[in-house]
Formats: sequence, C-alpha cells, structure tokens
Amino acid sequence: MQLINSLLIVALVLGGSLGAAKAAETIKIGLLTPLTGFAAADGLSVKNSVDLAVEKVNKEGGLLGKKVELVPYDDRADAKDAVALAQKLIQQDRVVALVAGSYSMPTRAVAPLFQDEGIPLVAAYAIHPDVTKAGDFNFRNGFLGAVEGRGAAYTAVELLKAKKIALLTSDNDFGRTLAEGFNEYISRFAKGKAEVVIALTYPMSEKDFKPYLSKIKEGNPDVIFSSGYYFQTGPVLKQARELGMKSQIIGEEGADSPKTVEIAGDAAEGFVIVTNLNRDDKRPFVQEFLKDYESRFKIQPDMVGASAYDAFMIICDGIRRAKSTNGKAMRDAIAATKDYDGLTGVIKGFNKGEVVKEVQVQQVKGGRFRFLGVITDPALITP
Amino acid sequence: MALFLEQLLNGLATGSIYALVTLGLALVYGIMRILHVAHAAVYTIGAYVGLLFFNLTGSLLLAVLGSMAVCALVGVAIERFVYFPLLKYPPFVPLIASIAILLSVEELCRLIAGPQILTFNAKLPFPDFHLSGVTVTSTITAVYCITAAVLLLLWFITTKTELGLAMRAASQDMAVADAMGINSHLIVSVTFVIGSAIAAVAGILVGIYFNQVYPTMGAIPAYKTLALIVVGGLGSVPGAVVASLLLGMAETLLIGYANIPLPRDALAFIAMIGVLMWRSQGLLGSR
Repeated sequence: MQLINSLLIVALVLGGSLGAAKAAETIKIGLLTPLTGFAAADGLSVKNSVDLAVEKVNKEGGLLGKKVELVPYDDRADAKDAVALAQKLIQQDRVVALVAGSYSMPTRAVAPLFQDEGIPLVAAYAIHPDVTKAGDFNFRNGFLGAVEGRGAAYTAVELLKAKKIALLTSDNDFGRTLAEGFNEYISRFAKGKAEVVIALTYPMSEKDFKPYLSKIKEGNPDVIFSSGYYFQTGPVLKQARELGMKSQIIGEEGADSPKTVEIAGDAAEGFVIVTNLNRDDKRPFVQEFLKDYESRFKIQPDMVGASAYDAFMIICDGIRRAKSTNGKAMRDAIAATKDYDGLTGVIKGFNKGEVVKEVQVQQVKGGRFRFLGVITDPALITP
Repeated sequence: MALFLEQLLNGLATGSIYALVTLGLALVYGIMRILHVAHAAVYTIGAYVGLLFFNLTGSLLLAVLGSMAVCALVGVAIERFVYFPLLKYPPFVPLIASIAILLSVEELCRLIAGPQILTFNAKLPFPDFHLSGVTVTSTITAVYCITAAVLLLLWFITTKTELGLAMRAASQDMAVADAMGINSHLIVSVTFVIGSAIAAVAGILVGIYFNQVYPTMGAIPAYKTLALIVVGGLGSVPGAVVASLLLGMAETLLIGYANIPLPRDALAFIAMIGVLMWRSQGLLGSR
C-alpha cells in the first residue's frame, strides 16, 4: 500500500514537473475579443487576423526558439466578462502579454489589472483615452479618439471643403471621444472657415435614424460626421439617401467594415472614412495579407482585424528585441519601437503608450474602400 | 411644419413596426396569461427563415409565406412542448422558460448563421412620395400598408368569424369555454399560429427596413413589447396597437425636438411606470 502511495506521489511530482516543462515550451499570449454578442463580427475579424499572425510567427520559427501559443477568450465586449477573463489569463494561463482586441469599455476595465501585474497590454482598436492611462505597461496600436476625431474634422474641412457640418454621434465612450476631437479641431484650426450647425447624439441601440436625419436635413449641412459602428453608420447612409439627402457623409474606424457597404448598398458609394488601414497600400506584405485574408475567410478584411494583427506583431517584435519574456524588458522594448512596418502603416513609435502613425482617409468606390488621402500633419496625428 | 409632419410620419412607421411585433404577445397573453418573451425569438427566426427562402427562391412572396409557416410551427411547438406542460406552475415558471427559449434561439441563430449581421436586400414593391419637403420613403409606405393589412385581417378574424368568437370565449374563461364545447387547447394553438405568423411578417419587414438580420435582433423587442402590452392594457390587442403607435410617435418627436440622449427604449418604460401608477388597467384594458 505504502509502495503504491509513494509511486503515486512520484508519478504526480513527475507528471507535475513534466506539465510545467511543457508549459514553458511555448510563449503564451492572451487575446480578449468579443466572439459572441452584438460585437461578434468584430471579434471574428480579430480572431481570424491574429490566427494568421500566430501562424506566420510560428512558421518563421517562433520567438526565442519557442512556439507562440494564443490564448483567446470571448469577452462579449462586456467589462464584467473581460475582468473575470483577465484574472484567468493572468493567474491561470500565465500569459506574458495581452492583445486587447475588444471595445473601449472592456479594455479600459482590464488595463489596470495588467498594469498591476507588470504584463504588457497592446490595445488593438479601443479608442478611449483611459485605456493607456493606467500606466506604462499599456499600449495602443489604434488611434486615440481625439486623433481620429481631429482627422475626421480635417477631412471635412480641408479635403471636402465643408462649410456647414452636422455631427451625428453615438452616445458611448467611442462616440463622445470622437466628437470631442472633432470639435477641438474645429475650434482650433477652422474658426470662421467651417462650423458645426447641428449636433445630435443617438443611443447605442438605435436602428432607426430617420428622426435624426430629418432634423439634420433642415440644417442642410455640406458634410455629416456620423460616428458609430458599421451597424449604425450603414443604416445612417441608407436612410439618409432614402430621405433624399445629398450631404457628404463621413465616418471613422467603427464603420471600417465591408458590412457597412453591404448594409448601405448603393448608398455607400462616395462614403468617406478616417481609419488606419489603407487598402491601396503599396507595401507587398500588406497586399499579401489582404489577399490571403479574403481568400481564406471569404470576407474582406477590415481595420479591426488588421489592428489586432499589428498589436500581436508589436508584442512579438518587442519579445524579439528584449530577448526575453520578462514584463519590464518587454515593456521597454515595445516603448522603444521605432518605424515598425505594420499592416496599419509605419508605426513611428509610441508616445506615452499611444501609437504615432499616419491617419488614412478612404472612400468607397465600386463597393470597396479605396485610398482618398492621408493625414501626416504631426499636430493632428500626435496624441 | 414640414419637419414636424415628416417626423410624425417617421414615428408612425416606427409605431407600426412595434405594433406588428407586439400583436402576437398581446394575443398570447390574452388567452394564456403567459408573458411570451420568446415571441421575440419567433420574430428573429422569422427574419432568418425569410432571408433564407428569399435567397433560395428570389421571391419575396414565397419568403414571407414560407417564413409564416415555419414560425407558426415554431410557435405551436413552444406552446405544446413548453408552456402547456408548465401551466400548472406559478406564472414565473413559464416566463423563465420563455426567457430561456429566447436566449437559446439567439445562440442557435449565431451558431447556424454566424455572428455577422446579414443583409436583407429585397425591394419592397411600394411607391415613395415627395410632397413639399416631406419625404415618405418606399420602405415607410410598405410598413404602413403591411401593418394596415395585418391589422384589418386580424380584426376580421377576431370579430367576424366563429374562430374569433371561440378565441374571445377561451380568453375570457377557458374552463367555461371547454364546457360549451369549444376545444380551447386547439384555440390556444391557433392563437399561437396567428401570433407567430404575424411575428414572421414583422421579422422580415424589420429585416428589410433596416437591411439587417442578426442573432440578437430580438433582444430589444423582447422587453419593449412587454412594456407595450402593459401600457396598452394586458391582453388587450387594440390597446397594444394604440400603445405601439403612440410610443413610436412619441419617441420620434422626442428625438426630433428634445435631443436628449435618453435611450429611446427608456420611454416605453417611463410610460409603463406611469400607467402602473395612475391607470393600472392600461390605456384600453378593462378591470
């Protein structure tokens, strides 16, 4: 009996240490993204893109001689779920870094947890300022709401020569920060040149934009800046055209999805967005990704996925340069990123955790987003 | 004035859609005294099945008929296999079952059709109007016409036919109706058939109106319609219709003139609280 017991103990100890040895053979990177719920389409795009990135890294020999293992969890774009899953990633899975591939609300909830543990977090596309406020372990590859809002205002005033502008804003973290950036640009750079004639906000769950659009129609603006996600801006485009409105409509990253065009149909032609993915980027690896993605997943890639791909690759690049998965070393390496060739443009570096890169202006032509312009002015793109 | 009129017409369209979704719920509550939250699930299924048939056949008419048939079956299945066996328990038991059905159907739709929003690109064969600054789009015309047709048909069935008489009898007192030779369980099933078929029409119409079909499209109607049947007077079908139309217009005018970023859904509940406080039988309900 005693023999069996001690054998069991030996087996357990051996098994345990074998397990530990096995765990250390891979480098675990966490991913939080909404795979179910209202934002599931974005989550799928993120997951697809990061899967491609993981494959690519492992095919090229992994990191520090080890394979990379992705630990993805579904946060349903919900802060409560995200916090619970973040604890699990930190304590149980012991990930060395996190790709935060979710919306602003869950991402700003988990950022302090990773900060406290000294684990680097790179947010893919969440735009709320608080995401990087928790500390120096938090980075963001997407644009800050203010940058994007300023970019949209620049596009309206300088590229589209608008005099009268209407704002139609989604009433959540996302929309509010965009509108702040937009208004900031108008008051600083476009005094007397252009003005906001009407500003309306709509709640997140809105589907019927006709009451808002009817009201905007009265103000007869040249440009409508409609912030929101594709499932909001798509219907805005469609319903505005149905009401016979001729104003140019511009949107932002939230509408950077093939779904916008699908929902709006013909009404999407000419729609302009500010975003970070340039579909007409000349760099070969970008075109290769766009082609690979579409042929494999049978849907056009979007900015959400490309940003998550970059967030993952920024972490990998940091690990390579740090030559370790030590939190502090990785943090310093990521903070020192310079002129990194990302899908979403050349990343000049990080400024207090915020990415510095050019803002792309794309326009729908023939049912696809195409290059319209690029915003390079440091006063606008520096967070 | 033009703006006011346009907003009013927008609101009437929104209200008509609410009415279509709420009808089935009011019918079911009227006869079975069950809060049929899963009605929103039937509506979601209606949209998906309609889209499927539309993509397969290319005919909107076939899509609507096919979807009505499928939803009628689903409705009866819910009644026979879930609600009926649970009738002997307190009312919250079938309510919990109903919520479970709604959530299961949402996830089922997501698993089968994927999480993405699907688009319902069907042209509704209705004209649009432009009169001195007021635009009535073809989709809005379609919403008016279809809602009016459904309401007329329902009014005819419930007031002018023997079936309607039996339905009203069963909703007053099922045991007595049984004693009078009415097969009230059959009448309950028929009510589910009618309510669910209307939900199919509503699902397709909303799918086309917003050009979006997605797994969680029933989430908001699920609770909003509950508020609406309370406001209208529990079990009163005309009350539910009036409450829906009023709410649609009130929401739209509030957005058009007040622009407070109050979720429009909140208004339904404010109205519900008001009704519960001052007129607990609802707008058209009776004590």
